[in-house]
Amino acid sequence: MGDNQKRILDLLAEKKISVDEAQRLLSLTEPDKDPGTKGPEESAGSKGKPRYFRVQVQPEAGSGKESVNVRIPMALIRAGIKLTSLIPPRASDEVNEALREKGVDFDVRNLKPEDFDELVKALTDLEVDVKGGREKVHIYVE
Amino acid sequence: MNYPPLLMRLGIYGRRFCLWLPLFLLWPVAVAVAIVLAPLVLLFALILWRLGWGRLVLLSGPMLLGILSALRGLELNLNLGNRLLQISFK
Repeated sequence: MGDNQKRILDLLAEKKISVDEAQRLLSLTEPDKDPGTKGPEESAGSKGKPRYFRVQVQPEAGSGKESVNVRIPMALIRAGIKLTSLIPPRASDEVNEALREKGVDFDVRNLKPEDFDELVKALTDLEVDVKGGREKVHIYVE
Repeated sequence: MNYPPLLMRLGIYGRRFCLWLPLFLLWPVAVAVAIVLAPLVLLFALILWRLGWGRLVLLSGPMLLGILSALRGLELNLNLGNRLLQISFK
């Protein structure tokens, strides 16, 4: 049982949340059991086009750190990429320069909405697990 | 086509606080404001066209609508120790 699940049960025991709320929150913390939070191997892979990009940051049990669970619709990322096409060339140069200073050699003008579908397709099998310090980061699409 | 989210849910568990914001009530107001501001946006776009920002100003409305529409399905869960904060767009 994870740290989050224990906390939810504690809140339920202290009557700070109702049984229904606890059930719903527990389902959110168990990605394997909730159809809305399926793992990449059983959601994106089998259904084809992924619809959401999920980032989960789980602290180590007992560390007391915050946990984060974000679900970003692919449509929102697509809208962001479309927005970059409107950036004037001079501003793009400044963004590229700032990225280069940070060690990222990337031209934002190469971000095109037409390439997004291909990018999403490539992301279907993406799964990143980073375990460092006192937290674990899990990134995948669903 | 995606439609803008109709509801926003803001929940703080641990304090038994849950709020459903009816965003669909805001959209007619937003449309009215957009219609009123349209001539001004057009004017700014013409002024800023030479600087290269005109296109961005002109297309800011449709782009904003696209971003708002894409918010549907966005979900954020934060576990802040003894509180759970949840924000979602439906």
